[in-house]
Amino acid sequence: MGLKLNRSIIGWFFASLSILLISMFYFYPMLQALILSFKSGMGANLEFTGLDNYVRLFNDPVAMIALRNTFIYLIFQVPFMILLAMFFSVLLNNPNLKFRGFFRTAIFLPSVISLVAYSVIFKYLFSTEGIVNDFLLKLSIISEPIEWLMDPFWAKVLIIIAITWRWTGYNMIFYLAGLQNVDKSIYEAAKIDGANSIQQFFYITIPMLKPIILFTAITSTIGTLQLFDEPMNITGGGPGNETLTISQYIYNISFEYTPDFGYAAAVSFIIVILTVVFSIIQFKIGGEKD
Amino acid sequence: MKKWKIIFTAILLMVVMAACSSENQSNGNAEGNLEPDVITAWAWDPLFNIAALELAEKRYDQVDEDFQLEIIENAQKDIVQKLNTGLSSGTLNGMPNIVLIEDYRAQSFLQAYPDAFYDISEYINIDDFADYKKAPTSFDGKQYGLPFDTGVTGLYLRTDYLEEAGYTPEDLTNITWDEFIEVGKDIVDKTGKSMISLNPNDPDHLRHMIQTTGQWFTKEDGETIDIAGNEAVKQALQVYKTMLEEGIAKTNSDWSSRLADFNSGKVVSVATGNWMTPSIKAEESQSGKWTVVPIPRLSVDGAVNASNLGGSSLYVLNIPGKEKAAEFLASTFGSDNDFYEELVTEVGAIGTYLPALDGEAFNQTDEFFANQTVTADLVEWMKEIPNVNYGMHTYAIMDIFTGELQNYRSGKDIDEVLNDAQQQAEAQLN
Repeated sequence: MGLKLNRSIIGWFFASLSILLISMFYFYPMLQALILSFKSGMGANLEFTGLDNYVRLFNDPVAMIALRNTFIYLIFQVPFMILLAMFFSVLLNNPNLKFRGFFRTAIFLPSVISLVAYSVIFKYLFSTEGIVNDFLLKLSIISEPIEWLMDPFWAKVLIIIAITWRWTGYNMIFYLAGLQNVDKSIYEAAKIDGANSIQQFFYITIPMLKPIILFTAITSTIGTLQLFDEPMNITGGGPGNETLTISQYIYNISFEYTPDFGYAAAVSFIIVILTVVFSIIQFKIGGEKD
Repeated sequence: MKKWKIIFTAILLMVVMAACSSENQSNGNAEGNLEPDVITAWAWDPLFNIAALELAEKRYDQVDEDFQLEIIENAQKDIVQKLNTGLSSGTLNGMPNIVLIEDYRAQSFLQAYPDAFYDISEYINIDDFADYKKAPTSFDGKQYGLPFDTGVTGLYLRTDYLEEAGYTPEDLTNITWDEFIEVGKDIVDKTGKSMISLNPNDPDHLRHMIQTTGQWFTKEDGETIDIAGNEAVKQALQVYKTMLEEGIAKTNSDWSSRLADFNSGKVVSVATGNWMTPSIKAEESQSGKWTVVPIPRLSVDGAVNASNLGGSSLYVLNIPGKEKAAEFLASTFGSDNDFYEELVTEVGAIGTYLPALDGEAFNQTDEFFANQTVTADLVEWMKEIPNVNYGMHTYAIMDIFTGELQNYRSGKDIDEVLNDAQQQAEAQLN
């Protein structure tokens, strides 16, 4: 009894530290945010309004536009980036490739760059008189400069280009690690059976990487739902509200307009709900049964 | 086993409660009545606002030798954000004694945090200041802000381009925006330059266009949304779109490209607040080629050729040191004629303190503007700016407009644009 008791005290002691810290810095703020989302008012004059914030949210056209934009990024950017990352990782996993280390570093490098710094640089690269337009004009690919920052369509494309550039290398690293764990004998067996490299990719590589695809898909989805730095710094949410994301809208409600922290908290819970829903869907589709 | 769980929970609770109570204690200390030795101030723009505060401190040395002012430079956005987070947390810890707030945003702070600001009615006479500054800086009958710089607007013109096209500045003096477009088309044809540079993502021109009529996006109470059926708002949008469609305007995407457009001589005119003067003068090679005329007005009855864009005022926070801070402001910004003369000569900032505006310094000619008495002219126009209550939602409404302007440009009907904007604003701001 004595020894058992002693052990469990020590066990509880170690567990208690992390429980305490997580409760204080995660669960307590979450609970407060939830309570806050049932209040409304300007600045410090908050009053309980029940579910009003949530009703308002579904009737708020700007929130809907922000939601729509976020979904556009999600639908086009995440699959594109994941395929690209997989493509690069398979190329770079080829043992016959020279300077593999250099290429890997080059593709990974964007993900160690500060979000704000690269956003600002992208803004200048893609301005109407910027270097990208110059380049495309000189090559006669376009006859008139593209209004990257002013046109609703191109502004979205620009944001997608930017986040793809920033995050592809990051995801590629996971695939590279995954590929190194795939048993080479499977490929050998496939070759003997006469499978070409495309068949090998689709019937061996992809199924073997399934858990990693799932992982990157979920983290990228969460990242996109929380997207803030790029639209904030590159387009400022413009033109109009055409590149506004939910996170940026939360920022605007809290700090740009007369602050209504209650409503901002309600909008942020939408991100929480969406994240949970998407993760469940992805687990259902891609997850293994064990 | 159960006992241990209970004890563990009890300990956890105690730790949490201890953490909370110590927090309370520290609040108590900070809100004590210890007057600080150093008065702090938050402001933006070292060449303008901060220079003005430094000048004020230098002059105040004669009144109170021991007075120490620490000016902390922050971008305007950061000040807004810090105030919002700080004030909404309920503690005034770490807040400055004096803060500069833009007039468009002032009501939002005054109404959202009614106890955070110090009433300075006793210290200054508000009738000494330009009339249009009153509505934004006061709330509930109390005067919280000390009106500082004016955002009086002017139409800055390149005289050499006008000459090339066969026009004189008189042709663009006291005109309407419609006339501006007509003349503009001809000038653009003849010179190959653009008439004006606009950023459709930040259409601040709409604000000063609308204020020429004495109206705003809201009625006089600053709350009732007044967009659908508002002739001034409608015309402003139409003018804006026409300028873009008729090719007399070029677009810019941010502040630096906006400055570059006139510094590099790509545009004939700049329609903006007088605080742009230092940036225009920054391109010394264009000296003598510029002049300033009154801002065009909208073709609405009662519209005048005078308007405002931006401009800010100083506020004292309701924390220890408030009396000291208010006295400092009152005896410099609030009453010192010489200070304002020095301010206009050294910093180029035009205050809104009326008794000072007849001083010598305001009648100086400026070589850069071909010996025009620019400051005196701007001061004249300032007195005519229609008084408008900006209310507390200017920037929220501007964002709605930026979105609707996009729809309008891609072909949406103007009345529908206004109705939709009205609905969005009502849904968002009630």
